[in-house]
Amino acid sequence: MSGGSSLVPWLRSRWVIVPGAMIVFTLGWLAYVNSHNHGLVEGRVVDATGKPVPGAAVQLFERGFVTHQERGRTTTDAEGVFRFTDNRSHSIQLEAEAPGLGRSNRHILRLWFAAQDAKLAEPLRFPAPK
Amino acid sequence: MSRQSPLALSLRHLTLVVISFAMLVPFYWVIKTAITNENIYAYPPGILPRDPHLFNFVDVWYLIPFPRYLLNSIIVSAIAVIGNVVFNAMAGYALTRQFTGRRAVLALFLSCMLIPFQATIIPAYLITAKMGLLNTYFGLAFPMLSTIVCIFVFKAAFEAVPKSLIDAARIDGLTEWRIIVRVLLPLSKPAIATNVILTFIWSWNNFLWPLLITRDPNMQTLPLGLARFLSYMEDTTGALYAFAVMVLAPSILVFLMAQKEFIRGLTSGATKG
Repeated sequence: MSGGSSLVPWLRSRWVIVPGAMIVFTLGWLAYVNSHNHGLVEGRVVDATGKPVPGAAVQLFERGFVTHQERGRTTTDAEGVFRFTDNRSHSIQLEAEAPGLGRSNRHILRLWFAAQDAKLAEPLRFPAPK
Repeated sequence: MSRQSPLALSLRHLTLVVISFAMLVPFYWVIKTAITNENIYAYPPGILPRDPHLFNFVDVWYLIPFPRYLLNSIIVSAIAVIGNVVFNAMAGYALTRQFTGRRAVLALFLSCMLIPFQATIIPAYLITAKMGLLNTYFGLAFPMLSTIVCIFVFKAAFEAVPKSLIDAARIDGLTEWRIIVRVLLPLSKPAIATNVILTFIWSWNNFLWPLLITRDPNMQTLPLGLARFLSYMEDTTGALYAFAVMVLAPSILVFLMAQKEFIRGLTSGATKG
């Protein structure tokens, strides 16, 4: 008996295949989300020349319906690295501030799901002094 | 039968392709706006999406309780579809039988089709309230449990089944209910598909009835969510159109899955012989 003909006909129905494929995809996606939603956001802060800035204050803003509200604040370590561990949102903005360097541009970070672990590809950069 | 020249055939196909594209332009525009943040009033309008992304869909998922609305819509539509197939099949079969007052019932059904739902919405609301079904899934699906158009679809499909087959089933000892389930429904797949598609789309897109009978935001369906989203986010067309796409997608999926039987169901009575 060939493999194709042994398959129960109703299993080959599109009313089984399409919802089945959607369920499998959803379960796979949920498994991925559950293993990557610890709320970690990591990045670096550098000055205009690209040197790490230790001790810079980094703010995390969470998107609301109309505005972004501050949800967290941390400081960079000796390597200019910062890390948030409790981000709950799917859309955030990050901004660094340091005495004598002013404020960096706000970095918009859009995530695929809430609390997705993320590492900034580009550091937060302070503008060159005027 | 006359054979068409290749030129005439190509011309006809070209015309059909152009018309098809024209029909698809609004869908394309909705999807294009959903995957960008373009201003829909910009002039000249861009044909191709610039910097496309899918984050508008993520915004919709999280900024409002979209999963809850989706679940509510799925449950209500499923109840409506099941109710329609069961009750309409029973009514359709009854109308194929001879009984006193059959013509009067048919005339009543046809005349009821002339009355818009808006005219009967207050009695429908009062009946639903008396039954204690306000704010429930069953109450949301209640007016959609049987629709007259779909009863006639089943009636037409059952009338196409040879009477000798039903008589043979009756002689074999099948009850009326088993005749419907075992003989008529398996031979009426196009009618079932037509019922499923029409009821699903009507129930899925229903706005006025859920607006009237839901008090709890957790019982709201997707069209109500869309209206609520519009009131919150009127300046972000990208997210709004993404919501519209997410509301539309299940209806289109159900239609695509059942379109073969649906088209057969619509055209089965169109030709004779």
